[in-house]
Amino acid sequence: MRPYQVGTAGVFVLLAAVAMLDSRKGALIGASRDPGGMGAGFYPFWAAALMGIAGLAVMYAVATTPQPAEGVFRGRESVFAVLQLVIPMLVATVALVWLGIYIVTALYMGFFARYIGRYRWVWVVLIAVAVPAATYLGFELGFRVALPKSVFYGALLPV
Amino acid sequence: MEVFGNLALGFATALQPFNILMLFIGVTLGLIIGVLPGLGGTSGVAILLPVTVFIASSGPGGPTSAVILLAGVYWGALFGGVVTSILFNIPGEPWAVALLFDGFPLAKRLGKPGLALTCSFLASFVGAFIATLLFTFFAKPLADIALAFGPPELFAVFVLSFTTLVGLGSESPLKSVMMIGFGLLLAAVGFDTITGEPRLTFGQTTVLSGIGFVPVTIGLFGIGEILASAEESGIGYVERLSTRLGFKDLFEALAAMRQRIWMVVTNSVIGFWFGVLPGHGATAGSFLGYGLARQYSKNKQNFGKGEISGIMAPQCTADAAAVGSLVPMITLGVPGSPTSAVMMAGLFIWGLTPGPLLFIQHPDFVWGLIASIYLGHFMTFVICLLAVPLLAAIMRIPYAILTPFIIVISIIGSYSINNSLFDVFITIFFGLVGYWLRKLKYPLAPLVVAIVLGDSTERELRKSLIMSGGSPLIFFSNVRAATLMLISFALLLLPLLQTIRQRLAGAPVTTDG
Repeated sequence: MRPYQVGTAGVFVLLAAVAMLDSRKGALIGASRDPGGMGAGFYPFWAAALMGIAGLAVMYAVATTPQPAEGVFRGRESVFAVLQLVIPMLVATVALVWLGIYIVTALYMGFFARYIGRYRWVWVVLIAVAVPAATYLGFELGFRVALPKSVFYGALLPV
Repeated sequence: MEVFGNLALGFATALQPFNILMLFIGVTLGLIIGVLPGLGGTSGVAILLPVTVFIASSGPGGPTSAVILLAGVYWGALFGGVVTSILFNIPGEPWAVALLFDGFPLAKRLGKPGLALTCSFLASFVGAFIATLLFTFFAKPLADIALAFGPPELFAVFVLSFTTLVGLGSESPLKSVMMIGFGLLLAAVGFDTITGEPRLTFGQTTVLSGIGFVPVTIGLFGIGEILASAEESGIGYVERLSTRLGFKDLFEALAAMRQRIWMVVTNSVIGFWFGVLPGHGATAGSFLGYGLARQYSKNKQNFGKGEISGIMAPQCTADAAAVGSLVPMITLGVPGSPTSAVMMAGLFIWGLTPGPLLFIQHPDFVWGLIASIYLGHFMTFVICLLAVPLLAAIMRIPYAILTPFIIVISIIGSYSINNSLFDVFITIFFGLVGYWLRKLKYPLAPLVVAIVLGDSTERELRKSLIMSGGSPLIFFSNVRAATLMLISFALLLLPLLQTIRQRLAGAPVTTDG
């Protein structure tokens, strides 16, 4: 567990360093000619400093005190279970740009119903049609919330 | 007493059939809006504004019916926002974010979704009832005092909100501080509201308007939790929860409320007061309520694991703050929250001018509204209780349908706030971040609180320093601000003193920072 803890805190320290570097102008009261002596950089600089100092302290604490021996993941199955969720989710998110919400929802819901739920095709199709339809009726028609679409929608949906 | 006569007049107005109908429609719409992530009470009220013009001009109740409808949406959304927080770990509304910390664990890990929902509805009802009583009797003097709360005092209140999360009882104070810093940093991304300079954007135009806290929260809690539970229970896991609900949950919730009645009363009073302060509504109030309840609880170690106080405290504070936010709107014409600001716009459209004269010129309007707050909350409470079994049954939907559905709803929720795909990417990214941080036992609550309150904290800090010409001593220049700051410092130092005491006594010290 220790390398993961140190590494994660290290990433935050690095992030803090970058943010402090970016907002170093106006980091001190009186350094800026803006009202109150505080420039735009004051707040992010000190927020990053807070995170960075606490991050260093966490790194020191986890490096000097006993840590549980086991790793972050329980085994291959647990990594596989998470990846089974993460990969389709990432694919669906990227596909939103080209396919829009309704086609993505239909494919995504259908994929889960078929490959995780092992439902019969009739149910798969029913789910893939019903969920986007309900989303359309509820959000777009009911509350007039425009959802992401793409070139495929012009002919399909009157929105 | 004059108040009782006025209140009787108010009830006579609010109980007219048309006004009851408006209240019912408002509350029901509000509940639906609250349950749907991405649609907030503020947008719900805004969507209905054009409709209220007709109601105010040609309806039998005039502007009173219109304001009753809008207030009904607000109350409904306050109750409805918690449903997805508790059942799916996705906040339906910003003020329901604090409900994630204990509502979801009670519903899922302890298998009591009905109890979690009932406790939250009960707390909403009691919090709002107490706040409405305060509204009825002390509206005007309180609004006057609230106006005396300037930027230094407000900044001190925010600092207190943060330190309650770090103080005693926190499992890893250093990690909490780290997460607060991270949250404040995320809140600072984008245009600086005072100078207009871009900050931490690294040349990217998409982040100029900042990183919204709703997409981040949906990712951290909604997506993060789904990933964590897939790992813990394996994919294809189906919840086995008791969804046979009845009066048992209500009785259990009532018993829990009786044990915590002082906490609920205190938090409701604080929430109401917080709502009265201009510019701060239910969201900030709910975090403050949660922090205070944890700070003063005997069961600190249970917080974050399904502690009922962790559900009741933010909920009663949020509802009380929502009611409180109407006070400065009605009495001074200064809205106490974004939702009440939209409602105030309504008042102008209907031809009314908010302010002290409203009580004299339109007593039926003001007292009708006050009476409708009592009725609206009672109505919402009853509707919600009847719907609990139905809502809790949602959790029995098979994994292969529910999990992708939650992800789709999360995407829609984060997209619909700004119609931005960038927000969707933020949600997914923070889903992965939240999953990882959870595994390494980083507390997520301080991160979310800091993102939500970051902008307001900075605004009050800078306004204070502008007032003082750059001197930080302004935070100790009056009794109110100084007291709040000293309490905050004491809370921050407590974990440090505790660690030193443990080391001196030779006891083992927290290992994860």
